[in-house]
Amino acid sequence: MNAALLRWGLLGQAAGINARLYCAAARLSFRRQFAYPAATFWGLLTNLFFGALRVAVLLALFGLKPQVAGYTPADAVTYTGLTQAFLAAFSLFGWYDLMRTVHRGEIVTELLRPHSFLGFWMAQDAGRAAAQFLLRGVTILTLYALLWGLKLPEGAAGWGLTLLSAGLAWACGFAFRFLVNGAAFWSPDAVGIGRFAWALMGLACGFLMPLAFFPAWFQSLLAWTPFPSMMNSTVELWLGHVSGTQVLRVLGVQAAWTLVLLGLARLVLARGLRRLEVAGG
Amino acid sequence: MIEVEHLHKSFQTRSGGLLRGQRRTVEAVRDVSFRVARGEVVGYLGPNGAGKSTTIKVLTGLLVPTSGRVEVGGLVPWRDRRRYVGRLGAVFGQRTTLWWDLPVRDSLDLLRDVYRVPPDRFRENLKAFTALLDLGPFLGTPARALSLGQRMRADLAAALLHDPDLLFLDEPTVGLDVVARERIRQFVAHVNAEREVTVLLTTHDLTDVERLARRVMIIDHGALLYDGNLPDLQARFGSARELVVDFEAPPADPRVPGLKLVSSEGPRVTYAFTGAAARPIALATAHAPVRDVTVREPDIEATIRRIYEGGLLGTVS
Repeated sequence: MNAALLRWGLLGQAAGINARLYCAAARLSFRRQFAYPAATFWGLLTNLFFGALRVAVLLALFGLKPQVAGYTPADAVTYTGLTQAFLAAFSLFGWYDLMRTVHRGEIVTELLRPHSFLGFWMAQDAGRAAAQFLLRGVTILTLYALLWGLKLPEGAAGWGLTLLSAGLAWACGFAFRFLVNGAAFWSPDAVGIGRFAWALMGLACGFLMPLAFFPAWFQSLLAWTPFPSMMNSTVELWLGHVSGTQVLRVLGVQAAWTLVLLGLARLVLARGLRRLEVAGG
Repeated sequence: MIEVEHLHKSFQTRSGGLLRGQRRTVEAVRDVSFRVARGEVVGYLGPNGAGKSTTIKVLTGLLVPTSGRVEVGGLVPWRDRRRYVGRLGAVFGQRTTLWWDLPVRDSLDLLRDVYRVPPDRFRENLKAFTALLDLGPFLGTPARALSLGQRMRADLAAALLHDPDLLFLDEPTVGLDVVARERIRQFVAHVNAEREVTVLLTTHDLTDVERLARRVMIIDHGALLYDGNLPDLQARFGSARELVVDFEAPPADPRVPGLKLVSSEGPRVTYAFTGAAARPIALATAHAPVRDVTVREPDIEATIRRIYEGGLLGTVS
């Protein structure tokens, strides 16, 4: 892991990016997640409780049918396990950190630092997400495997591509969350916008229900949005519902949406900061 | 170090409804000019809403002025802000830059990467500040568990580890006890003397100013009212000395010919005078039987309050 970090560091330095800093910020953010073990424990318990509930509902839905919309009962159990595991890491219930920083005026002290604001936040969120995935995600998946059995990606290539997809899903979701939080630059009650956005994200990324369960027209509509890239794609890769060259296409779409949303986030940030510069904080 | 010429900043505010509301232009800073030399400590004073923080935000590159010229160390703050802010340090007394849940040491170590401080230099600075501010006992404590005084000391170190040219201190002693305040003042004085850091200090605690700054600038209603040293301020605008007289009984007429009456409350009457106290005391004791007299010296705080309240000064020419 350190060798990989070093390699990225050297690449970053060549591009004039302070990669050491972003690695350090991610590492600190990772460590801070371990500061509240009690919160982690109760969060985990809640995750597991709702996970069990969702397994029961989905299995009841299946009844005696061997398959629903391409999902076997085993797929459905794994699907709920994955959504519960990604819940904290991908902040699927919402994320208001940046909003708070803007509203409380703390952003002023952050802007007095000579690094990329977006980059620093992304590094911090990467550390947070990684820690949450290890603390809560891996634990949930292990418990699922023990309690109900879990389908796993096939072979090293399957694992590698699925994890890559999970990384892209996080990045894509982060860009979206950052973008939504940017509303705080314009509105003192951007929280409402946030609530709507998280509800939309929860529905459209496949957190509430597998997207395969939706009517065909709705699925093809969603295919034109970035939301499936924020989780559903990863779930389908994990379950092996996507194979062959289709895998690369899915990853490509995820990467493309990530770049587009990050670009938008940058744009919104620049506009928001200009607003601060002209109108005061 | 700092050059500000004819700085203006106005904001558009909207009052009333979103659609029919009226746009109003508020002039937060009007025609402010000053220069600060390298290594100076300047106290920047003014009541809330006077234009202090607007000026600071322009100087830190967070606000673009409506008009005027600003250069700090040869750079225009809001142009290429990211490069510029690397040369600044700032402590906002009400806020911390430390990571809330992590040991202080981690927050400080991160700054090495934030400012790309050479490792040797960083180690040296950290060692020096740890000794000067006695950070040792709590370097391993998370920021959330620090006392306010400890937090402020850690924040001061954090603001200076990268050897900034210019340090902004905003209310650095607010909420602290006397001992903690003194320690912080000593540290700032030391850093200023040893490292030639230019310091711009905004505070409501005038002892901070008296102890640290030879020069003060006073701003109110967006205009610079005074720019000079403290003794001059006192000499020019210091209020008169006051004679507080406790008469045996409330006097029928508290007015004493030759003394200026300030206030009268039962047997206690306050007069203002200039020069020696002997004659005013003689006049008062001749007026009616006296139990006690006290002479009250004007303090800097009263002077500044008078300046704010009375608009004693026109704008600085």
